Amino acid sequence: MPLDGAEQATDDVVRLESVWKIFGARADEALTAAKSGVDKPDILREFDCVVGVADASLTVRRGEIFCVMGLSGSGKSTLVRHVNRLLEPTAGRVLIEGEDILAKSDAELRRIRATRVGMVFQNFGLLPHRTVRENVSLPLEIQGATLKRQYDSAEAALAKVELAGWGDRSPASLSGGMRQRVGLARALAADPPILLMDEPFSALDPLIRRQLQDQFLQLSKEVRKTTMFITHDLDEAIRIGTRIAIMKDGVIVQIGTPDEIIRNPADDYVAEFVANIPG
Amino acid sequence: MAGKDSEQEFKELVSEFVGRGGGYYAERFLRISESEGRVAHFNPWALAFGPVWLGGRSLWAAFWAAFIVEAFALVLIGIGWFGDLGSEVLAKAERLEAQAAERMERAEAAIAEGDSLGENMKRSAEAIAGAAEKARAEAAAMRGSAPRYLAWGFAVLLAVRVACAAFGDAALARRFRRWRANRAITHGLPPQRVLFAAALTAFSYALTVYRFTAAEIPSWMTEFPAATEIRNAVSISIDEGVRSVADGLGFMFNSVTAGINGVLNLMEVCLVSTPWPVVMLGILAIAWQVAGPRVAIFSSAALAYLAVLGFWEKSMATVALLGTAAFLCIAIGIPIGIWCGRNPRVYAIIRPILDFMQTMPAFVYLIPVVAFFGIGKPPGIIATLVFGMPPVVRLTALGISGVPAEIREAATAYGADRRFLLFKVDIPLAMPSIMAGVNQTLLMCLSMVVIASLIGAKGLGEDVLSALQYAAVGQGILAGFAILMCAIVLDRIVQGRAPD
Repeated sequence: MPLDGAEQATDDVVRLESVWKIFGARADEALTAAKSGVDKPDILREFDCVVGVADASLTVRRGEIFCVMGLSGSGKSTLVRHVNRLLEPTAGRVLIEGEDILAKSDAELRRIRATRVGMVFQNFGLLPHRTVRENVSLPLEIQGATLKRQYDSAEAALAKVELAGWGDRSPASLSGGMRQRVGLARALAADPPILLMDEPFSALDPLIRRQLQDQFLQLSKEVRKTTMFITHDLDEAIRIGTRIAIMKDGVIVQIGTPDEIIRNPADDYVAEFVANIPG
Repeated sequence: MAGKDSEQEFKELVSEFVGRGGGYYAERFLRISESEGRVAHFNPWALAFGPVWLGGRSLWAAFWAAFIVEAFALVLIGIGWFGDLGSEVLAKAERLEAQAAERMERAEAAIAEGDSLGENMKRSAEAIAGAAEKARAEAAAMRGSAPRYLAWGFAVLLAVRVACAAFGDAALARRFRRWRANRAITHGLPPQRVLFAAALTAFSYALTVYRFTAAEIPSWMTEFPAATEIRNAVSISIDEGVRSVADGLGFMFNSVTAGINGVLNLMEVCLVSTPWPVVMLGILAIAWQVAGPRVAIFSSAALAYLAVLGFWEKSMATVALLGTAAFLCIAIGIPIGIWCGRNPRVYAIIRPILDFMQTMPAFVYLIPVVAFFGIGKPPGIIATLVFGMPPVVRLTALGISGVPAEIREAATAYGADRRFLLFKVDIPLAMPSIMAGVNQTLLMCLSMVVIASLIGAKGLGEDVLSALQYAAVGQGILAGFAILMCAIVLDRIVQGRAPD
């Protein structure tokens, strides 16, 4: 992977600086109001705008698995979609390896998405009319790689998730756990430095989830990707995360290692969460 | 106690909803919610005011039903009470009596003079007198039936009111439940609504009863005083507009015609001018490959029908015609459908146009099409286009808008641009729906061939048309079956994916 001097200098692979996301037609007015301390219900009533993410800042360091934990509606999925600019922030900065993503042109942005950020979705997001291999090679196809390279990369990625030999199947013939492994293989196929995982295991049953968590941890050690991992399950976050950010109502309440969070919960909300964690 | 509190709350809520009579309705609603079956209870207000009560309570669906039946009942009562039952028959009887008396007089005079026709004349006069007597009896019977009308009228009226009273509370309770979920729906008993319902019923009842009971009614009551001169003026100005557009944009219409002719000629060369064994073999081979052996066998039977009965050239001309129309429908319709599927605002504009295209009777737009494009095949194709395009647009839009957002997001997250999304994600996922649209469009195009033949588009439609003109049943049925054969073969080939 080509790294120029500026990129090597920073170990902060993903950096969000006071990112705001407000949904609605009058987002700018609502933003001003929200910054001056108006409550979310008031903003909804007054501007018909929903605050998805409020003033979120975080840094993901190279090679770590950074979990974002929160209940549904807490803005964690919204937050992670700013990293590859699937969503435009209303305010704030987003940096990938020191580069301002928001300043990129559409073509540059597509290039970054195809080569530097892999993403795994809760509901897999596989194309049902394509074979498993064609799904996995999608990022390379978009990059315009040769058919041979597409094939080879897809096979390699499938081997990493232990799905070698399944390339010619259709996604519909796979179980949920296998489909998500296809999704993971797709994220790995272009060998991007960053992985975004949006509740990847939430749609799976507990047993398969546990297996996939282990498999993912194992794989993560081998491939050494910088990962942002979204989950609503604190157990999962603690098992997987190098560090954890806890979100509530669009606000990041606390960032810390699992240990720090269990020992020193920042507020009652976090404390209530960790109360059920043994040890 | 929580129960007491919630009961109080319920009472307040009902009071707010009904506006008047909160205590009564709170008790009734509670009873209705507690009873398993229907409880017999009569709402005195509904009994007294019927439709006006229903209208005042915003139960408009029930209002209209009660209104219509009650108007009918009132008409019956009106006829029974004031109606001049049997007056016409009575007048006829009197006329006949006068006539009989006159003839009798003349017959008697003739007999006195010794005329041989006298006896005959007397007999005919007696016959007329008999008819007069019968008419008089009929009139008396009709007059006697007035109480029956009255009785029926009152019975129906009573039935309506009883029904209002019996079901009124339940209907209002249902509306109350809906109102609890959506406070925006009308409630209460505002005087203006009661007034409106009362005025509406009074006005309509008075006019209706008058119409059916009065001996003589003013003509404005049965016929709307229409302003036909406005219609004439507008239609003349439309005529002029169409003429000036046809004159001014002639070059444009000519170029459209030329374009259509280009496609059509290509089709005709393929289907009509090519020797028939080649075409037949081609169709059968394609049917086999695309849809499997069963469809191929069926197709050969259908083609044999066409060929043996001498419909071959005509049916190929028809298929060329509708093939051109369908090709243009698809070529124009799919992009429009995709646009609509991705952009709801565009669809909101296009949808009424599609409705218009589908519901407007074909004969209506045949006229301007002829004005703009003359007669012959190209205008026939254009008329077919108008009718055939909507399904492919609609179903394409449906398919495209049904592509899951998550799948599009996933492709976007890997750097897909709009082109990639369209051709590699949206269209493949929408394909079943698009193909259903293509199929529908094809069949609708085929159903237009008879109408298109009215403006000179030759083919099987022409045969059906001439069979219609000469009432030649056999010819018509055979030609109709030929169209059906073309349709089925085309449909199966387009639709059918052979399981390979």
